[in-house]
Amino acid sequence: MNISKKIVVLGYFGVGKTSLIRRFVENSFSNDYKVSIGVHIVKKTVQVSTDDTVSLILWDLEGTDDIASVRESYLLGTHGIIYVFDVSRPSTFQSIEKDLEALAKKVPGVPTQVVGNKIDLVASEEVDATLTEKGISFDYLTSAKTGEKVNELFEHLAKILALDAERIKGKLQ
Amino acid sequence: MLKELRENYNRDKFQFILTDLTGRVVQSDQTLLSVEENVAIGEAHPFFLSIPEIMDAGRETATFHCVQLGTPMARLTADIEIHRKKDGFLIVIEDLTQHYRSYQKMAQTRNESIIDSELIVLKNHELQERERFKNEFIQNFSHELRNPLTNIIALTNILQRTDLSEEQLGILAVLKDSTSNLKLMLEDILSIAMIAKGKLALNPSVFNFPHFIEFLKLTYTTRAKEKGLAFSVTTDEKIPEYLEGDRIRLLQVLTNLCDNAVKYTKEGTISLHVALNQKRANTASLRFSVKDTGPGIPPESLGTILESFEQLGQTEGVGLGLAIVKGLLDLMGSTIKIESEVGRGSHFYFDLKLQFPLREPIRPAARKHLPPTKAKAPAKDTQKYRVLLVEDNEQVQTSLFKSLIEPGNFFIDVVSDGALVMQEVVNSKYDIILMDVNLPNITGDQLTKAIRAFPFKDVKKIPIIGITANSYKAQIKAYKKAGMNAVITKPFEQNELLKTMQRLLK
Ligand SMILES: Nc1nc2c(ncn2[C@@H]2O[C@H](COP(=O)(O)OP(=O)(O)OP(=O)(O)O)[C@@H](O)[C@H]2O)c(=O)[nH]1
Ligand SMILES: [Mg+2]
Repeated sequence: MNISKKIVVLGYFGVGKTSLIRRFVENSFSNDYKVSIGVHIVKKTVQVSTDDTVSLILWDLEGTDDIASVRESYLLGTHGIIYVFDVSRPSTFQSIEKDLEALAKKVPGVPTQVVGNKIDLVASEEVDATLTEKGISFDYLTSAKTGEKVNELFEHLAKILALDAERIKGKLQ
Repeated sequence: MLKELRENYNRDKFQFILTDLTGRVVQSDQTLLSVEENVAIGEAHPFFLSIPEIMDAGRETATFHCVQLGTPMARLTADIEIHRKKDGFLIVIEDLTQHYRSYQKMAQTRNESIIDSELIVLKNHELQERERFKNEFIQNFSHELRNPLTNIIALTNILQRTDLSEEQLGILAVLKDSTSNLKLMLEDILSIAMIAKGKLALNPSVFNFPHFIEFLKLTYTTRAKEKGLAFSVTTDEKIPEYLEGDRIRLLQVLTNLCDNAVKYTKEGTISLHVALNQKRANTASLRFSVKDTGPGIPPESLGTILESFEQLGQTEGVGLGLAIVKGLLDLMGSTIKIESEVGRGSHFYFDLKLQFPLREPIRPAARKHLPPTKAKAPAKDTQKYRVLLVEDNEQVQTSLFKSLIEPGNFFIDVVSDGALVMQEVVNSKYDIILMDVNLPNITGDQLTKAIRAFPFKDVKKIPIIGITANSYKAQIKAYKKAGMNAVITKPFEQNELLKTMQRLLK
């Protein structure tokens, strides 16, 4: 069975949202920074079990330093959220908790993955220590540059969404 | 006509697509995206794949700004409106590529500059951390080194007093030289680390300027002569006799400059000149300058020469002198300036504003030199004396301090480092000196000899009492020969000390 799921990727500008998607979809990376504006959408299908695939429709949003300024329409009907921050730039994870709360209000009950990207730039123990100290919990530490944990992140989310779909189907039946 | 033009114009800018409720294309313009009828609109672009979710729960319309619909080859940035119709959706796409292109440019510049400045702050922070760590390390490390070095110096001094052959004495002389150089370097490094950590505070006091200069003159005339150089000192005679400032730190600046000048000059003259720039109310602006006829500094090195650790690797034996000069002057609100010409020499100078007391400070010692006006002379037992206590052992220091403070007529200054004694003696007038003969880096008799050799009458005649644990007659005789007026052996009664002092102060 194939289902398709809309996923919104958001976070501060320059944290590597576009790069993560590009690594996942095309398995490539560029050091150049081209600022994204508006929204760019791509699709990639993930095998979640022998019989099932999930088509992830990835909405790569324009970066912002204020979650309140994310255009509401982009979030309409989303099934999953990937919140990306940059482990090498503290400003990008200063207000994670607040941002996640705001998101939960806008799109309640949507599975969210919190991702610290650019882990290749900082020693991971150091990141761990900083984040723990700040009380920030995250799901993945990734590097779009090296590819570390990128596939894992998207595939994990695809599985969560597939399971959700199963559950809903089960309820309906 | 106009209507037609408008329609033509708009036609290129908009695309209208009608789909059924499942998203299959019923009808479409072919202006912006090529869309096949009867095919799911999601095939045209993945944006449209989400229409069912977007229009979920009976939503009537949805508007999307700035959606990237193009390919890298053919850009298309559009606003999209979706309207629910009776049996499907109307999708209106407006091409705003031009408009959004300038928006992108703006965002690019803004984001890049924000990120750059963030990274600069982070980088600076990291550098500061490293610098702090380095200084901390250096400071601790040099402290650790100090103790063994002090032991080496002390033991070398003791060794020197034993029965040695000519050859052994020669070796010892080199050893002493090396250890004292090492000690100076260590002090330099420590100063730098303290300056860098902001731990060094200025300690201003009133001092006698001619004495201050005379001390430098004395030191460097000898040093220069040893290298066959001339050393000249000139000062503006309008400079006030007493100035207020951190004499020790100013001395450190000038000795560093003079040390370097002596070190690098092979022949010629080193001159120290102090000019009065301006005198106002109670502030004097002075220009201190040290000129040499050394090799000079190439223009490309002028910028880096003042940086602390920069120099270490470059020229062998170059200390941190200039970095200390820079740091200390910074602290005093001044900056070092350098003019230099390769092959001709260098000129280092700086301006310093110092306050001066409008009246000569009245010191107990100064009073002694006033013509004896018997009527005004204070009663004998209320007269106060300035005592310089030279002692490095803290316990002895405290007990002596207690003995002297009790009678209530002594001002006591304590110096624990032999090297500082000379400066203290020249710059403040003492009535008597109490001196431990076993100081870490210079012995009491050497110090006494040096003091007795001073060209100032009031300094060379200061009574000196030696304090020693050594009660050998021959040794005591030697101390007296060096110029001590009295020697007291430990342990002694407080009374004995006071009596001796009173006798010498008469
Ligand atoms: N070292 C390193 N650099 C990365 C990584 N991910 C992204 N970058 C770099 O970070 C910069 C920004 O990456 P983007 O993917 O454009 O970031 P974004 O979050 O999409 O930025 P906006 O679209 O402006 O919000 C680029 O120069 C990338 O090369 C990573 O994992 N490691
Ligand atoms: Mg982007």
